[in-house]
Amino acid sequence: MSETHSDIPGPVPAETPVPERGYSMGREKLMLFLRNAMGVFGLILVLLFFASAIFAPLFATHDPLAMDIPARMSGPSADHWVGTDQLGRDTFSRVLYGGRVALKIAAIGVTVALTTGLILGMVAGFGPRWLDNLLLLVFDTIRSFPTVVLALAAVALLGPSLELVLTIVIVTTIPGYARLARTSTLALKNTEFILAERSLGASTARILFVHIMPNVIGPLLILAAMDVPVVVTIEAGLSFLGLGVQPPTASWGTILNEGYLIIRDTPWMVIAGGIPLVLTTLGFTFLGEALRDVFDPKLRRGR
Amino acid sequence: MTKITQTRRGFLQTAAIAGAAGLTGTFPGISWSAEGDTLTVRFDREMESLDPGFYVGGHPPNDVNWCIMPALVHFGMVDGQASWVPSPYVESVEVVDSTHIDFTLKQGLMWSNGFGEVTAEDVAYSYDRMTESEWKGDYVAYERTEVKDKYSGTIILNQPFAPFMNLTLASGTGIILCKKATEEAGGKYTIEPPATCGPYVMEHKQAQYVRLRPNPDWTGPLPAFANIDCIFVTDSEAGALAFEAGELDCAKITSTSYARYLKETPPGAALTVAGALQYMWMGINIENPKLSDIRVRKAIQRAVDIDSIVQGAYSGTAEPSYGIICPGLVGKRDAAGYSYDPAEGKALMDEAGVSGLNLTLRTLNSPERLLAAQIIQVNLAQIGVTVEIIPLDSGPFWEMGQESKGDTYKDMELWIMRFGAGPDPYEATQWFIRDQVGVWNWERWSSDEFEELYKQGIGETDQAKRHEVYVRMQEIMEETGGYVWLTHEPEVFIHRDDIDAKFAPSGEMQMAYFAPK
Repeated sequence: MSETHSDIPGPVPAETPVPERGYSMGREKLMLFLRNAMGVFGLILVLLFFASAIFAPLFATHDPLAMDIPARMSGPSADHWVGTDQLGRDTFSRVLYGGRVALKIAAIGVTVALTTGLILGMVAGFGPRWLDNLLLLVFDTIRSFPTVVLALAAVALLGPSLELVLTIVIVTTIPGYARLARTSTLALKNTEFILAERSLGASTARILFVHIMPNVIGPLLILAAMDVPVVVTIEAGLSFLGLGVQPPTASWGTILNEGYLIIRDTPWMVIAGGIPLVLTTLGFTFLGEALRDVFDPKLRRGR
Repeated sequence: MTKITQTRRGFLQTAAIAGAAGLTGTFPGISWSAEGDTLTVRFDREMESLDPGFYVGGHPPNDVNWCIMPALVHFGMVDGQASWVPSPYVESVEVVDSTHIDFTLKQGLMWSNGFGEVTAEDVAYSYDRMTESEWKGDYVAYERTEVKDKYSGTIILNQPFAPFMNLTLASGTGIILCKKATEEAGGKYTIEPPATCGPYVMEHKQAQYVRLRPNPDWTGPLPAFANIDCIFVTDSEAGALAFEAGELDCAKITSTSYARYLKETPPGAALTVAGALQYMWMGINIENPKLSDIRVRKAIQRAVDIDSIVQGAYSGTAEPSYGIICPGLVGKRDAAGYSYDPAEGKALMDEAGVSGLNLTLRTLNSPERLLAAQIIQVNLAQIGVTVEIIPLDSGPFWEMGQESKGDTYKDMELWIMRFGAGPDPYEATQWFIRDQVGVWNWERWSSDEFEELYKQGIGETDQAKRHEVYVRMQEIMEETGGYVWLTHEPEVFIHRDDIDAKFAPSGEMQMAYFAPK
């Protein structure tokens, strides 16, 4: 590397924070976030989502698998708060347990996709040109495949299961993160602090994980928050089609599907399966947008 | 609301009367009324084959075939009961004696694609060919067809076979093909008949529709509806909604919809039960190592609560089943040899020394069957069996037990199966003989006594003895531990009440006979 690179303008490196300034910046951003009413509302919904899923066994009024056929398709009552399904199972308890499936898919799916996408994106952005081209080709190939069609084909070959849904979610969301990470890495690749690190003889791994990653991960986390509802609805959609979780496991998608079949007899299952999906989507979207506004002012729209 | 119900017993009585009428030649012929408008109906699945020798499931292949292909007899209604009647393709059909049936075709019925007239040769070719087909069981008593002249001949049976007219000729297996066209097509076809002859011609778009349009070469009586649009709506709830929205004139509905419509039928609609000639059971692969101990299989039989399935999955509209012979038929059992007793089941499991058993339960991916599967899953948990439900689409489902279609049959453990039956007990038993192991006998058992009784049942004319034969055959099946009898599900259609809708007792629409009231 030559000194001429020092003339190239680049973003201010993030790895030289002044502690006091960071503290005050953090506080400032927290205040900024708390002033965003939609963001706080989103955060509450997200916390509710996590709490209801994690503590489902505590909140559930019934065993979600226990059948009570004489009480089938009943409406809300003191015993069954939002009624029962065709086999007399308590819908409220099943919705709570269904949240666990959604949470599992969202947490594992988004985490794995984010990590893999981040690493692959940084490698593509920082690595040799041929590797970049190859990875881009792979990302674009996957992105060009409609998710549901890919899922249908995979299920036809391998049979439906939660693991398969998870795999499909991960595979189809990786390219989004990887693309974003790659672009940010490319922008950083020739900045002074990276060139300095190189000239000091730092290994590629050190440069990537210690210097580039902290600068890249912020927007990715915001994207991840926005992606959670997408992942949850993919799972619900596939389960609705009978391609996701298998009976008797409850998922919001299967509850919606079973509810749809008896919607003319009782609308409560569709309502009970639909509301958490709506609230989760709203919660993560509001939270993601608020985070974006706070941490990435450049992306603010109309402000 | 109009509710028309055909019982099997009544059907058989009428069949006998019609048979006698056929002998004396007094039976009134059927004619289609004047040309009308368009009829729109629901088909619940795509057809694998229209070939009468190789179709799977009567509805919808037979619904189509009866509109575009010749047959000597059709199902008709006499005094409110279903029976065989001469079709519009014949001058006469006469049962001469217990092994001879004379027929004379109408002249001037032309095959499509320039294959000439429908002749007695075509009839002989079609029936001879059936003896080598997947439906050869229906032709077990068929010897040959003697062609007298271009239009007439005699069907000769090798032994008296009571159900021949209703089961063999009037059902989908009695369709007549064009000899020349079929031979040119290689002797077999799937969903494009090489030549057709009927009041309609077919236009088919995969998984979308079958359109039946007037056949300009047709010289027979004209059906009431000039056009029929058959729309593939696989989702039964969507089918019911489409009917209510006025998009369909007739739709097959599920038990859940039936139960709802029984409480409140939409204005201008009528419900028709086209029969309960369906028998559903849970099959157990007796060759699977996990299930080779008969005590385990008997424990499973005792652990399944049929009443819960009838109520939970079928809203109380299906009848509990005690065998493969359907309600109204000779040989129908009044009770099974076991009853719901999970405690006894658990004791049998303990006696067999089996615990922590994990089994798969394969089923068609339809709402009722998934509900039934989930009830079975909960039931079997009571005797310590963990069940994993595997829902399958119709393609892989119907192939899974067939040795010719792969090795899945070896992995099969439990599955929910439903067959449609003909109006004679013989029809249901033919799928479980030794030759059918690995074809349709997926439970993979065989018995010398069963084979003997099978032959005896065909030729037996004494109804009381016949009843005993078929009851014993079902006992043998049950004693293998390979069967948990589930339900007889009714085939129900909802249709406009200003349409006189006609159905075969096996649950197919006879669309060419539909007419405005």
